Amino acid sequence: MNQGGNTQTVAPLDPNPIEKRYGVEGSQVQTSPYQYSTGSDAASWTTHSVDNQVVQQNGNYSNSNYYHPQPPVPATGNVQETSSSTSGTVNVAQDYSAYTPYQTPSDLQNYSNTGYTNYYSGCYQQQQPSQPYTQPVGAYQNTGAPYSSFQNPGSYAGTASYSGTYYNPADYQTTTGGYQSTAYNSQTAGGYVNQTPTSSNQGNYTSNPYQNYTPDAANIHSATTATATPVHYQQNYQQWPGYYSQTEVPCAPGTENLPATSAFSQSFPVAGGVASEMPASNGQPAPSYAQNWRQETDSSQPPPQQPAAAVSASNNAYWMHQTPSQQAHYPVPPQNHYQSPLETKPLYETPIQGHQRATYPQELNSQASIHQAPLGYRQPTQTTPSVDTQRVSKIQIPTNPRIASNLPSGYTKMNKERSPAGATQTPAYVSVSMSNPKGHTSAMPEPGTFPKALCGFVERAFARCKDDKEKASCQAALKKIITQATNDGTINTRDWDIEPLSTVLNTDVTNTESSSAPISSLQNKSPTRRPKSRWEPIVESKPFVKPASTFTSGVKFGGWNHPNVNNKKSSETFQKVDAVTGSKPTYFAQNSAKKSFQRPVKRQRFAGGAIDDEESSDSEKELTPYYSSAMSLASSADEKKRRDSRSKRFEKVQGHSRGNDIPKPKISNVRRGTALRLGEVLDESCGSRAVEDMDWDALTVKGTCQEIEKRYLRLTSAPDPTTVRPEDVLEKALSMVQDSPKNYLYKCDQLKSIRQDLTVQRIHNHLTAKVYETHARFALEAGDLTEYNQCLSQLKILYAEGIEGCTLEFAAYSLLYITLHSNNNRELLSSMSRLSKEAKGDEAVRHALSVRAAVTSGNYVMFFRLYKTAPNMNSCLMDLYVEKMRYKAVTFISRSCRPSIPVSYLAQVLGFAGTSSEGTGEKENDGMEECSEWLKAHGASLIADSNGDMVLDTKASSTSLFMPEPEDAVAHGDRYLDVNDFFTRT
Amino acid sequence: MAYVSMGEAHRRITEYLNRFCDAVSYQDSSMLCRLLSFSSNSPSLLSLADALNVFQDASSLIRQSDKFSEYGEILAHLFRSLQSYRVGNLVEAYLAFEKFANAFVQEFRNWESAWALEALYVVCYEIRILAEKADKELTSNGKSPEKLKAAGSLLMKVFGVLAGKGPKRVGALYVTCQLFKTYFKLGTVNLCRSVIRSIETARIFDFEEFPRRDKVTYMYYTGRLEVFNENFPAADTKLSYALQHCNPKRERNIRMILKYLIPVKLSLGIIPKDELLQKYNLHEYMNVVQALRKGDLRLLRHALQEHEDRYCIVAVFLRSGVYLVLEKLELQVYQRLMKKIYIIQKLSDPARAHQLKLEVIAKALRWLEIDMDLDEVECIMTILIYKNLVKGYLAHKSKVVVLSKQDPFPKLNGKPVGS
Repeated sequence: MNQGGNTQTVAPLDPNPIEKRYGVEGSQVQTSPYQYSTGSDAASWTTHSVDNQVVQQNGNYSNSNYYHPQPPVPATGNVQETSSSTSGTVNVAQDYSAYTPYQTPSDLQNYSNTGYTNYYSGCYQQQQPSQPYTQPVGAYQNTGAPYSSFQNPGSYAGTASYSGTYYNPADYQTTTGGYQSTAYNSQTAGGYVNQTPTSSNQGNYTSNPYQNYTPDAANIHSATTATATPVHYQQNYQQWPGYYSQTEVPCAPGTENLPATSAFSQSFPVAGGVASEMPASNGQPAPSYAQNWRQETDSSQPPPQQPAAAVSASNNAYWMHQTPSQQAHYPVPPQNHYQSPLETKPLYETPIQGHQRATYPQELNSQASIHQAPLGYRQPTQTTPSVDTQRVSKIQIPTNPRIASNLPSGYTKMNKERSPAGATQTPAYVSVSMSNPKGHTSAMPEPGTFPKALCGFVERAFARCKDDKEKASCQAALKKIITQATNDGTINTRDWDIEPLSTVLNTDVTNTESSSAPISSLQNKSPTRRPKSRWEPIVESKPFVKPASTFTSGVKFGGWNHPNVNNKKSSETFQKVDAVTGSKPTYFAQNSAKKSFQRPVKRQRFAGGAIDDEESSDSEKELTPYYSSAMSLASSADEKKRRDSRSKRFEKVQGHSRGNDIPKPKISNVRRGTALRLGEVLDESCGSRAVEDMDWDALTVKGTCQEIEKRYLRLTSAPDPTTVRPEDVLEKALSMVQDSPKNYLYKCDQLKSIRQDLTVQRIHNHLTAKVYETHARFALEAGDLTEYNQCLSQLKILYAEGIEGCTLEFAAYSLLYITLHSNNNRELLSSMSRLSKEAKGDEAVRHALSVRAAVTSGNYVMFFRLYKTAPNMNSCLMDLYVEKMRYKAVTFISRSCRPSIPVSYLAQVLGFAGTSSEGTGEKENDGMEECSEWLKAHGASLIADSNGDMVLDTKASSTSLFMPEPEDAVAHGDRYLDVNDFFTRT
Repeated sequence: MAYVSMGEAHRRITEYLNRFCDAVSYQDSSMLCRLLSFSSNSPSLLSLADALNVFQDASSLIRQSDKFSEYGEILAHLFRSLQSYRVGNLVEAYLAFEKFANAFVQEFRNWESAWALEALYVVCYEIRILAEKADKELTSNGKSPEKLKAAGSLLMKVFGVLAGKGPKRVGALYVTCQLFKTYFKLGTVNLCRSVIRSIETARIFDFEEFPRRDKVTYMYYTGRLEVFNENFPAADTKLSYALQHCNPKRERNIRMILKYLIPVKLSLGIIPKDELLQKYNLHEYMNVVQALRKGDLRLLRHALQEHEDRYCIVAVFLRSGVYLVLEKLELQVYQRLMKKIYIIQKLSDPARAHQLKLEVIAKALRWLEIDMDLDEVECIMTILIYKNLVKGYLAHKSKVVVLSKQDPFPKLNGKPVGS
């Protein structure tokens, strides 16, 4: 939904492709968002926002509202303003996923920008809220740089326009100016610019964002942008991690949210209810959630939003919203943000700081300085986390988020943890939040004050990290140190420049374990739980949404933090991003690290669908307008029932109880439902076990049936061991069939059932080969080439595995088959060149080769001689060619011989004599009769010569010969499917 | 591997990066080709590979500068591939090169002009060669070779990039030829059909517009395909085109063309001069040609069945797919033999020369150490008459072939047997 909404907004904002894309989804609303942001739209937005808040679609909207509220928060205009702004922001954010940042600028006026920042890079939002405009400006500028980089990729032609928008925001900022943030912005901008160049990734990032977008939000995005960006995603992700890590730091600032925290705590209690979550997120968050997560919360949300009025709250809300709503959409947006975010994020941080205190400038600076693109990103992300933390009493969020993302069930745990951790949340976030709490009243100052030196320290520390693990531990250590420093007030006094890195790096492990124990534990657990939880987050988000959302956000952060640490692990970061964006993301994060991006993308879509419903299906563009209403419907009892039943389908597998399925708008229920289910099934199948990891042995059926005779029936379900015969019984069955006097159909039926039993028991040995050989011979005997081919292809596999059998016999058959029936020169050549010397010495093979020579030269005399002396079943294969060969011969003869040729000679040469060999004396006569009948049937003209012997009048025959239609031909082409046979079989 | 100091390694890598970026910015295709051509084993590339193996973190160098980072993805994969290539890990080298190729093609797509076509050729060539080497490595490790197949699909992708309007379309034929080589190697020649169709039917392509080199290669491979289909006139046209346009100094290429063109010509009744066979070292055809001239069936059969002593030659015939073509020459040898008998009879008894007794033919064959009874001889004669290699009729009762008095042994004159 959010995405959809965002996209729409984007469209208006950005003339670029994205806009178009979004525009497709359409939404007027979106377009309007920007306008709204400008202000005049506000009215419309308010309506929209209201709707949005109420309606899920608006998830985005609501988010945007939240955002807006944040900036305006103080202003109060809560609902309306927020809504309007939110819508703007939301849209922006969503759009952003690709271009959001740009849009945000416009929104900034409303504060929606802040919202954007929160959503996407968080940085933007923060900036906006705190000193919304100034910061935004910076952010924009920054974004501008990223965008420009994007443009470079080329896919985004529109970038330029974006940058323009950004700049405009800059203007806004200036207007707002009051905030120190402007300074920040400028600083950040510079930093960003630098960053962009520094990070070669940015280019990639740009593209990445797009990709992200596509997956997440929006199929739409994907449609347009997706193509270009896939590769980029990874890179973006990497960057993202960086951002996240940075964000963690901001978290401290996040303490600002303390008020929000309280709200969160409350919300948590409420948590049970979706709506509760929203409240938790400080009201504002709630709205955002509501939008994204559920329509239900809408009503509750608005109020929360008002409370949220507090900037921090609004920020939190934004974050929350972002996280929740974004989860679906966000994955994409984050990327975008990130890309541009690199820059924007710093801004973002600054905003946060601004909200909290004046620290922003510092942070911004620090970010900028740090700033290698990744660092800057991290910071922004961190800010986002902080926001979350803020929302949820900081602590809860951080811990939960990861867990939540990983484990849906984790929620409860998370909550528990939170309650204890409450004040001192284990997660880095928590710690940050702790510091924030202090700031809460004055929190702003505290967090915001991260000295540049500290940033440099952090940067250095991360630079030392070689791998993700190290980074994660380093991050944890850093958090600890920073928290500590913040707590004892030394953060500004310490000389970070000389602070030994060893404290961070050495203590990595311990730190991670201790300080970030929650995170690590969560992560550790996550692997096991993940499979189950993959979808849970989503589910939770909707039903339990509020707690879940907080968690998810927290989770996301956690995920991000790690990612931040590991810039290198693009894929992981990607996943993490997803996690951030939504519960689904967690899923990705889990799998994504290893798996291909494609998968994540798919999942993201699903996730998006689940979370946002709207985005899940591309075709739903038209539906977007209805979403709001649909969302409201989603909570209806009817819908709930359906969801329940749906969720039950997977309960067994997942072992999780999804009390509430993902809320979906009714309109799109059907489609989404299927999509979701598919996604779930997919996830589960993938999640539970990769195909290659399946323990096939454990699944193999061990037959217990003792009956020797068994009819063949094509399996339509898993084999029942009681009807499957074990190997020894099958052996008896085979010999029974071999000795059976019954007809081929019976034997074929029996052999097929034997083959089936062998297959389901995965028996691959000499018996298998024997069965197939037997069947192939019977098939040859009966001229059943289709069955013969099946057997031969199986035999080739078996022989290739080294299982002994009548290899040469079947090599000869194979040669004959190619020569006589497939007429494929290349195949013939390759099988001839593959023959070993030994094979060429074999009688059957030599015979087959001679037959081939006779056939290619048309030597019918040779052919029929070989026919009579054929070893094994070679004659059976030749049987099927006899007709053709005879016809050819007669054609030759009637063209070449004059005036006539005795039938007796033909009977002898063409193999009529002797084929039906009863007695030596009768042979020729029999051949004569048969031959003359055959000749007559083929239009030859037979006359009696002066001696009374039958002769073929060659001149007359040469023009009258024809191939008669086979008498036993049947319309369906398979003469073995004779009606009578059919009845005898049944 | 020579020892390379860190600083030297750094210098080499930076130099390479600078060259690469310069080549791209100045659109210096030949320089780019040199920079990408692995299989040339040029000293500069080898020393770069050594440097890369010393200086492990080349990607940070790429990232350091905007100029490099613009092609960061391309270069990073290229470096990784080169590294693996240098240490002999060809599978890894292939995988990295494939990624590089993808990135490069992506970049190439964005370049409006076709200046980098030559470089793209190098990439296409290298990926095929690398894939073949990687497959060899895989096979020796007992794994299933699949890289060439992957290279095939990548080449198909490149073909898609080139097959459009615009200056890049002239590169399509080169890629097609690389595809042919890949498919022939893989034994999946049926996959050639779709490419051929688009080359020969798409209006954007004007065949004469392609580079001559590619036209020759294309004609060679399509001619070979026609040989498989036993469509000799078409094969003759295509292979003759290839022969005519082939650079006369490229004896190896001429030999390859002749290897197929000679059997095709033979089956059309056109016999090459011995000098040709000698000049291009086509000794395997000597006996065949000789047999055709003399009507020496035994010689032909020996030439085709030399696997007893010289297994390899037959294997060559089989593998190259001309075995079946040569085998079909048997009828022409019979014809020649009959003509010889006819001429001899004419010398002794001109009046009855047009009557060939089956008995006589059987005796002649026996003299060639080929044992056939009359039925079989009759059968052969039937076929010869039917295929219009002998004019006349066979009188079964008297066991005599009665030859036409006019031109009893018509020449093929470029027409395939049996038409």
